[in-house]
Amino acid sequence: MSPSNVLPRAVARFLLLPIGMIAVALFVKGLSSTGDGFAAGTVAALGVALQYVVFGHREAERCLPVRRAPLAAVVGLALGIAIGFAPLLSGDPAFTHLPPAGEKVAKLGTLELATSVAFDAAIFLTVFGMVVGIVRELAWAAEQETEEA
Amino acid sequence: MTLLVSVVVAIVFGSGCYLLLKGDLFRVVAGTVLISNAAVLTLVGAGFTRGAAPIRPFPPGSEVSDPLVQALALTALIIGFGVTALLLTLAARVYASSRTVDLDQLSQIEATREDELEEAEA
Amino acid sequence: MTLDRRTVPTEAPEARTSEAGSATSDRTGRTAESGAAADGHPPARPDGPFPPAAALAATLAALAFAATLYAWLRGGGSIDLPWAPTLGLRLHFRLDALGALYALLATGIGAVVFLYSGRYLRLHLSHQGRPARDERSFYAFMLLFTVSMVGLATAQDLLLLFVFWDLTAIASYFLIGFDRHEAASWSGALMALLVTGITAVLLLVGSVMLFVAYGTFSLPEIIAEARPGPALTVAAALIALAGLAKSAQVPFHFWLPNAMAAPTPVSAYLHSAAMVAAGVLLIGRTYPLLQESELVLDGMLVVGLASMLAGGLIALTRERLKQVLAYSTVAQYGYMVALYGLGGAAGAAGGAFVVAAHALAKSALFMVSGAVTRASGGEERLGRLGGRWRTMPVVAGAGALAAAALAGLPLTAGFFKDELLFKAALEHGPVVTALVAAGPVLTLAYIGRFWGRIFLGSPKEAPTGPRSLATTLVAPIAVLALISLVFGLWTAPLESLAAEAGSVSLGGEPAGLSVAYHLDARATNLIALGVYTLGGLLLATYPRWLPVAQAFALVALRFGPERAYVSSLRQANRLSSALHRFEVRDLRRRVAAVLVPCGVLVTAGFLATPTLGQYEVGPLDGRDAPLAIVLALAAAAALAAMAPRSQLVLVLVLSSAGYSLAAVFALLGAPDVALVAVLVETLFALLFVAVFSLLPGGVLDREQSLSVPPSRRWRDPLIAVVSGLFALAVVWGTLSSPVPRGPRISERLIELAPAAHAQDVVTAILSDFRGLDTLAEATVLLIALAGVGGALSRARSS
Repeated sequence: MSPSNVLPRAVARFLLLPIGMIAVALFVKGLSSTGDGFAAGTVAALGVALQYVVFGHREAERCLPVRRAPLAAVVGLALGIAIGFAPLLSGDPAFTHLPPAGEKVAKLGTLELATSVAFDAAIFLTVFGMVVGIVRELAWAAEQETEEA
Repeated sequence: MTLLVSVVVAIVFGSGCYLLLKGDLFRVVAGTVLISNAAVLTLVGAGFTRGAAPIRPFPPGSEVSDPLVQALALTALIIGFGVTALLLTLAARVYASSRTVDLDQLSQIEATREDELEEAEA
Repeated sequence: MTLDRRTVPTEAPEARTSEAGSATSDRTGRTAESGAAADGHPPARPDGPFPPAAALAATLAALAFAATLYAWLRGGGSIDLPWAPTLGLRLHFRLDALGALYALLATGIGAVVFLYSGRYLRLHLSHQGRPARDERSFYAFMLLFTVSMVGLATAQDLLLLFVFWDLTAIASYFLIGFDRHEAASWSGALMALLVTGITAVLLLVGSVMLFVAYGTFSLPEIIAEARPGPALTVAAALIALAGLAKSAQVPFHFWLPNAMAAPTPVSAYLHSAAMVAAGVLLIGRTYPLLQESELVLDGMLVVGLASMLAGGLIALTRERLKQVLAYSTVAQYGYMVALYGLGGAAGAAGGAFVVAAHALAKSALFMVSGAVTRASGGEERLGRLGGRWRTMPVVAGAGALAAAALAGLPLTAGFFKDELLFKAALEHGPVVTALVAAGPVLTLAYIGRFWGRIFLGSPKEAPTGPRSLATTLVAPIAVLALISLVFGLWTAPLESLAAEAGSVSLGGEPAGLSVAYHLDARATNLIALGVYTLGGLLLATYPRWLPVAQAFALVALRFGPERAYVSSLRQANRLSSALHRFEVRDLRRRVAAVLVPCGVLVTAGFLATPTLGQYEVGPLDGRDAPLAIVLALAAAAALAAMAPRSQLVLVLVLSSAGYSLAAVFALLGAPDVALVAVLVETLFALLFVAVFSLLPGGVLDREQSLSVPPSRRWRDPLIAVVSGLFALAVVWGTLSSPVPRGPRISERLIELAPAAHAQDVVTAILSDFRGLDTLAEATVLLIALAGVGGALSRARSS
C-alpha cells in the first residue's frame, strides 16, 4: 500500500483541502440544501481514507490528527445523546430543539444556528470517527500482513 | 412504473439471496449488501411520486417527493454500511484464524473442534 | 452435565483459537489455573487490615437500615413516578409495614453479614489460592442483591416486582457461582437461576392475566377491584407457585441444598433472610388476591406441611453443616407457607413474624457453620467435628442461643414463631395441628444434633485452622443471637411490625397479633410442652430412627424432583445439540432455513388474501425513460454479481449496481439519498479492497473452482428464484396499494420543516422530527466500530 509513484502522492495531498471544503459545505448547507452530517462525515472520512491508500498507514498518521478517531465517534454519540435528551430535564419531550419554532435565530449565511445544527455536528463526528476508525484498523492490519510476508 | 421498480427490487433481492447461499464468506457479505440495497430501493420507491426534491423553496406547481421515506432510506444506508464493515472484518478474522473462507471447510473445522471439546469433557 | 460445552469456549476464546489443535486440555487446564491464581496476582492473605470493600458495603447497608428505620418510624411514605405512562406503568414504591419488615431484614442482616464477610472471604480466598481482588465482585453483587431486595419489598407494581424479582435471581447466580472453578458451584448457581427464573415466568404470566382482567399492573388498584373467579384463581396460583419456588418449597426445594456451594456469607444472607424470603414476601404482598381462593390457600397449606416434614426429616440425616441448615431452611419456610395457607389474621401476621424470627436465627447459624469450618481448616462434616466449645466458647454460646431460637425454646423470639403456628393450626382441627406440631419436633431434634455434634463430645481431630478467630467473625453471630434473645423478652417491636405487615397482607383489615408468655395450661403451651418432650426424646434416641429418615432421604433424592430437573436439562441439551448439528453448523442451511419458510409463509398469506386486482402496473411514459434505463442497469448489475469467479470483479459489479441505484434515487427526487448512496458505495468498494488486501491472492479465486455437489447445483438457484418471487409479491403489493387519502405524515413534515429552522425537509426529519432514530443509528455505528476494532485486534494478536 505504499506506492513509490510521485503523482498520486501529490494529487492526494492536494485533494485534501478541497475534500475538506466540500465536507464543510455539505455540513453548513445541510439544513438548507442537499447534504447533512452523514454526507459531510463520509466525505471527510473518504478524504482521510485517500491519504491512507496513497501514503500507507504510518505516513498518513504522521500528518493527520486521526489517532483519536474512535474517541471522536464516542464523543459524537455522547453529544448527540446529551442534545437529544437534555430537554427532558426541563420537562419537554426529547429532541425539543432550541430556539423554539418561529422565533428569531442567529444566522450564519444560510445556516440558522439552532441546536439541531449541533445535533447534526454530533452525527458528523460519529460517522467520521467510525469510518476513519475502521479505515485505520484495516490499514493497521494490512501493514501487519505485509510486514509478515 | 410500479411494476418496473418491483421487478428490479425482486431481481436485486434474488441475486442477493443467491450470493448468500454461495460457498465463501465474502460472497455472503456481498449478498447482504445487495439485499440491503433492495430494501433501500423499496423504501424510496414507496415514496414514489416523481416530484421535486423536498428542499425549499419548491418549484411552483410540482409535487414534492415524500421526505419521510428518504430519511428512513438514509438511515438504512448508513446502518447497512456499518453492518457490512463489521461482517467484512469478521470474515477477515475468520480467515486469520482458520486460513479459509470456504463454508464447507469452516463447518468441518468447527465440527472437529466440537468433538475435541466433547472428548475433553468425557 | 453437558451444558458447559457452551460456556467453556466463550470464557476462553483466546485459548481456543491460539491452540486450535490442542484445545483438548481446555477444562482441566482451567481448573488448575484458577486454583493457582495464574493471572499474576498473589493469593489473598488471611490476615492484614480489615478489607475496605467489606467495610464500605457494611456501612452502606447499615446506613440504608437506619434510613429505612427512620422512614418507617416517621410513618412510611411512597414514591410514585411515571415510568411508561402510555403503558400505564409506574415506578411505584411504598414503605408499608410489609415492605419495611423485609427491607429492614435485608439491610440489617445485610450489614451484619457484610461485616462477617470481610474476614471470612479473605480466609476463603486464601484457602483457595485466589487473589484478594476477587472479592470486589462479591460485594458488588451482594449490594446489588440488597438493593433489589429493598426494591422488591417496596414495589407496588406487578411488573416492577417482576423486574426486582429477576434482579435478585441474577445477583444470586453470580454469588452462588462465586467459586467459579468448581463444578458444584456453577451447577448449583445455574440450578438456582433456572428454577427461580423459570418459575418467575409464572409470576409474569399471572401478572399479565391480572392486567388483562383489570387493566392495570398496580397492585393496590388490582386488590381494590379483585373479584373471586376462575381467572383470579389461576393468576393467584401462578403467582403463588413463583413464590413457593423462590422460597425453596417442595417440590422446587432442591435448588437450595445445591446452592450451598456458595461461600457461607452468601448462604447466611441469601438463604436465610433474603432470596428465600423473597418468595414469602411475594405471597404476603399478593395475599389479598391469593386468599380469594380456598384452593390456593389449601394448596399452600399442603406444600408448607410437606416442606416442613420432608425438610426436617432430611435435615436430620445430613452430614455436612450447611446441608443440615439448607434443609432446615426448607422446613422453616414451610412454617410460613403453612401459616399463610391456614389463613386469617393469625396466619398473615404470623407469617410475617416467623420470617423475622427465623431469619435472625438461621443467619446466625450459617455464620456459626462458617466460623467452625474456617477454624477447622475447611472441615464441614459433622462426624469429623466435636468438642469445639473449648476452642470457641463465644461461638458455641451464640450458636446455642440461635439454635434455641430456631427450635422455639422460650425466652427467644423463636418461641412465638411456634406458638403462632399452633394457634393458627388449632382453628383447623386436630389433624392439621398434629401435622404442624411434627415440624417443631423435628426441628428440635436436628438442630440439637447439629449443635451437639459440633460443640459437645470430644474432638475427633485436632483443629488445624487459626488458633483464635477474628472478632469480626464472632461478633456478628453474637449480635444476631442476642437480637433473637432481646426480641424474645421485649416482644413489642416485632409484634407490632408483624401485626401491621399482616394487616397489609389482608388488604387493610387489622390483624390482631398478641405475643406474650402465659404461664397457664392453654392449648398452645401444652402443645409446646409436648413438642419439647417428643423432640428431646427424638434427639436422645435419634440414632435408632436414623435408618428410617435416611431411607426417606435416599428415596427423596433418587426419585425426587431434582432428578426430573437433571433429566429435563439433559433432554434440553440434547435437543439443542441436535438442532445445532442440523441447522446452525452450516451457514447456508441456516440461511435457507430462514428464506424458504419465509417465502412459503408469505406466499400462503398472499394466496389467502384477495389481493388480485390491487396490483397496479403504474404509468410509464416518455419522461420515465432515463429512470427505466438506470433501473435496468441496476438489475443487470445485480444479475451479473452472481456470475464472476474473481472476487475483485464481484466488488466492481456490486459497485456498479450501487451507483446505478444512486442514479435512480437522484431521478426519483431524493438527492440526499443519492448523495449518501454514492458515498457509501465508494466506501464499500474501498472496504472490500482493503479487506482483500489482507488475504493472500490465491484465496480469492480458489473458492469457485471447488466442485459443487449436484444436489446443490439446482438448489441454490431455485431458492434464489423463490425468494426473488417472494420479494416481488411483497414489494409490488406494497407499492401499488393506494395511498390513503387525507393528511399524510409527510405533508405535515414538509409544512413543519421551516419551523425547525431547516429548508431541507429530509435533514429536518433526521436531526429533529425523528432524531431518536438517528441517535439509534449512530449507536449502531459505534457498536460496529467497536466490533471491527475488536475483531481486528484479536487477529493481530493471534
